[in-house]
Amino acid sequence: MIQFFGRSNELQLEKDASSRYLPIVISSMVFLAALALAGLFSIHSAVENWSTAVSGNLTVEIEYEAPRKLDKKVKITVDFLRTFPGVEKVRPLSLEESAKLLEPYLGRADVVKDLPLPRLIEVTIAEGSALDLVATAKKLSDTVPGARLNTHRPWLNKMITLARSVQLLAAAIMFIIGITTVIIVIFAARTGMVMHQEIIEVLHLTGAKDTYIARQFQNYFAKLSFLGALPGLLIAVLVMQILGFLTSQLEASLITAPTMIFEGWIALAMLPFLVALLTMGTVRWIVMGSLKRMM
Amino acid sequence: MVRFENVGMRYGMGPEVLRDINLHLAPGSFHFLTGPTGAGKSSLLKLLALSHRPSRGLLTLFGQEVNSLKREDLPAFRRKIGVVFQEFRLLNHLSTLDNVALPLRIAGADEEQIYKHVTELLDWVGLGPQVDAKPPTLSGGEKQRVAIARAVINRPQLLIADEPTGSMDPEMGLRLMHLFQELNKLGTTVVIATHDLGLIKRFSNPVLYLKDSTLYSSRSDEYLDQYHRSSL
Repeated sequence: MIQFFGRSNELQLEKDASSRYLPIVISSMVFLAALALAGLFSIHSAVENWSTAVSGNLTVEIEYEAPRKLDKKVKITVDFLRTFPGVEKVRPLSLEESAKLLEPYLGRADVVKDLPLPRLIEVTIAEGSALDLVATAKKLSDTVPGARLNTHRPWLNKMITLARSVQLLAAAIMFIIGITTVIIVIFAARTGMVMHQEIIEVLHLTGAKDTYIARQFQNYFAKLSFLGALPGLLIAVLVMQILGFLTSQLEASLITAPTMIFEGWIALAMLPFLVALLTMGTVRWIVMGSLKRMM
Repeated sequence: MVRFENVGMRYGMGPEVLRDINLHLAPGSFHFLTGPTGAGKSSLLKLLALSHRPSRGLLTLFGQEVNSLKREDLPAFRRKIGVVFQEFRLLNHLSTLDNVALPLRIAGADEEQIYKHVTELLDWVGLGPQVDAKPPTLSGGEKQRVAIARAVINRPQLLIADEPTGSMDPEMGLRLMHLFQELNKLGTTVVIATHDLGLIKRFSNPVLYLKDSTLYSSRSDEYLDQYHRSSL
């Protein structure tokens, strides 16, 4: 008689003014929740990417000296690093390459390369390697004075702290959205109860169980929430695509832009169902509670 | 069937609307309930319909003390009671058939059986051609017949009716009183609240009358004599 997503046959909640705007409110809530959820997942994946990218790469910086002395130091450093187990690749950057890296900050590379630039060596560590970076850095600076091993760790730590804070903020926003949705649904359900008190009494006196009445409310409100959640989610995905496109236009060579991972898409797809379930549970709880106060 | 022992009832913290009610309705009995407006007839019917619990005293329905009934037991008890509300309380968006079918559907009856029983009963009360009509399109008398059909469709053990023939022409009123009598003969205990002295005189069933929130009972002729003496 009462289908899951069907009409509330006796109570005819469809004609209520109290719940007419619920889908719009739910839609807005789901829009915000979807953006927060997308933020949570994409930042999480970005942190993983940065961490993987940075922890496998080291940079050795050798202070500027006379070019001949510097070339010699570079060769010693390269030979020294290649003796370490776990070091996969050691590649000294040419002066032109270093100048090219500084071009966005200092101007044309052909001019920059005439400056007293330190020499850089890119070191790639084998995956799963147990290389002791602190000991390696010390040995290197003892062997080659003026050489410094840069692990990028302090920079990455700051980035991770920032990312985690943003994640925490997104989770807090999700929580607030959840609470707000529950409160809105509670008000709508209570209003519905008051508006249909007379029919509820007839149903009760005709032998209807509380669950029979509650089912009509919970199914109807779950339907409203589900249908409201769909456009909210759709708009959020569109906004995310636009933001993704704009981010991809940025030439940020240092870090990769956050991207949604598969689990994130799954979570987004589940959002309308979760909202419908949350609504259903809330409405059932409220209606059953109110019915218990009647005889 | 129904036993009241020193039952009192009040709404919230208000004054007692029923005081020291003592009453025993035997199974298969037929009573009229009468009394002046505001005497507490509706409140007494609410107690009988399990719509309210007594504030004090013992009310026993079908062998169970009402105040000790668990909430989950109430629907099963209410399905044994048929109620005809004075203001009908039909569901305006449902058809005549769906209104009458409501108690059967709530009890989980088979749709085929529901249709058969409901159409039969609607034919009997003269509403056969109006199975699909919605209550707002029906006259007062027709609405009342729908309300009565809804109350009796699942053969209740106790039938309570508040002014059930008030909006009908005398012929249809009598027809429905005969329906109540037939149900009564089948074992249904009937309590009919009415101000209609003609009805009380014609059917000669015992009369329960409320005066100053207290219930008295008498034979119909005694009650009518007393009524006429006091109004002279």
